[in-house]
Amino acid sequence: VRVIVRVCACDCVRVIVCVPSLCEDLLSSVDQPLKIARDKVVGKDYLLCDYNRDGDSYRCSTEYRDLYFEGGVSSVYLWDLDHGFAGVILIKKAGDGSKKIKGCWDSIHVVEVQVRAGAPLPVQTGINNVNCFYLPNLGNMDMENKIRSTLNEIYFGKTKDIVNGLRSIESLPDNQKYRQLQRELSQVLTQRQIYID
Amino acid sequence: SADFPSQATGDVRIAANFVTHAPPGEFNEVFNDVRLLLNNDNLLREGAAHAFAQYNMDQFTPVKLDGSEESVLITEHGDLGQGRFFDPRKRVSFRFDHLRKEASDPQPYEGETALRSWRDACDEALSAYVKEHYPTGVCTVYGKTVDGQQTIIACIEGHQFQPKNFWNGRCRSEWKFTISQSSAQVVGVLKIQVHYYEDGNVQLVSHKEVEESIVVTNETQTAKEFVKIIENAENDYQTAISENYQTMSDTTFKALRRQLPVTRTKIDWNKILSYKIGKEMQNA
Repeated sequence: VRVIVRVCACDCVRVIVCVPSLCEDLLSSVDQPLKIARDKVVGKDYLLCDYNRDGDSYRCSTEYRDLYFEGGVSSVYLWDLDHGFAGVILIKKAGDGSKKIKGCWDSIHVVEVQVRAGAPLPVQTGINNVNCFYLPNLGNMDMENKIRSTLNEIYFGKTKDIVNGLRSIESLPDNQKYRQLQRELSQVLTQRQIYID
Repeated sequence: SADFPSQATGDVRIAANFVTHAPPGEFNEVFNDVRLLLNNDNLLREGAAHAFAQYNMDQFTPVKLDGSEESVLITEHGDLGQGRFFDPRKRVSFRFDHLRKEASDPQPYEGETALRSWRDACDEALSAYVKEHYPTGVCTVYGKTVDGQQTIIACIEGHQFQPKNFWNGRCRSEWKFTISQSSAQVVGVLKIQVHYYEDGNVQLVSHKEVEESIVVTNETQTAKEFVKIIENAENDYQTAISENYQTMSDTTFKALRRQLPVTRTKIDWNKILSYKIGKEMQNA
């Protein structure tokens, strides 16, 4: 049995070929799979995206990445704003290709931190590392866990339910059973609600 | 066909490609979007007409003839050319509008009379099977000579379109065997496609090829064996897909991103923070 997960990124290119004027709008609103590049000086991989700026890169807290992804590549790019800073956190993990299954997880987290004038600064002794102060707040924004649960339970669960609504392994001897199946399917599908705050 | 400059020809080929890959139940949406992008209705209509026909034949699009309770499938096997198809059960040919998906102008069509009894027996057995397993299923069975071999071709289609709930799905299967000799191979292709796009975008696209041997005796007995092979294979396929979901959840997905760290507890960010500050104080 072959099951293929569709990749729609290449369709972007086809649309741009037809209508070149849409190029910028399309590329800024559709996320492409993250590309990996190699920093030969340090000997480490990093990820490419719109926000890359030469000389502004910062290595992400690898503790988080390794605990959740057991490997993978991550990059963080931060830049100053008038009243704070913003950043993008990129994570890419490809499956190891074992057991005839291919997969890839790409995360793009965009963050903006506003520092209000007069707010108390973290107490640090001779260290200039403001980023550490914000780490617990950024780390606790548990978007990835929610999305991962949603993917597992709702998206995959729902497509499986739809397949089982198209065909029944058990016999449907009469109309009554068919109507019952329809009712059950409707119930199951309405129960699977999505909650993303 | 009209003469178009090469840029336009390339664009219409891309447009046609988008249309042929529209998920089940979403042809109109893709067509309307492509129409806006291309901004040249004449070009689209003439350059992509083959794509609309190809799409309907690939998808086993069901259509009801006027005054009929039953549907017939649009497939390559029923293609008579010039926009006409035939219904082997009703023995009728008709004109099919690929954009409106409507049938018109029915005419009598006899098909291959030598294969009629075999075709009818297989159709009867298969229709009973489809009623038992497909809530919204349709089947069409052809008896045709293909490459000199007398062949039975059975097509099954079932779909559910629920765009208001942001999902569409369709399964199709095509089964063939020849009746010229007492021993034959039944060859089947099974396909499933599901698209779920509520606050996201997930597609399942799957297919499987099957081959089983069959003994060809008389019409009724052979039809019964044929349908038994189909039933077993399609049950196995559906079971395998459910099992794949479980495997995907337990292993692959987990290999991409775990739900919890290996420690089975969420990260304590304050601990990491104090460790980091501590380390930097040591190094300062």
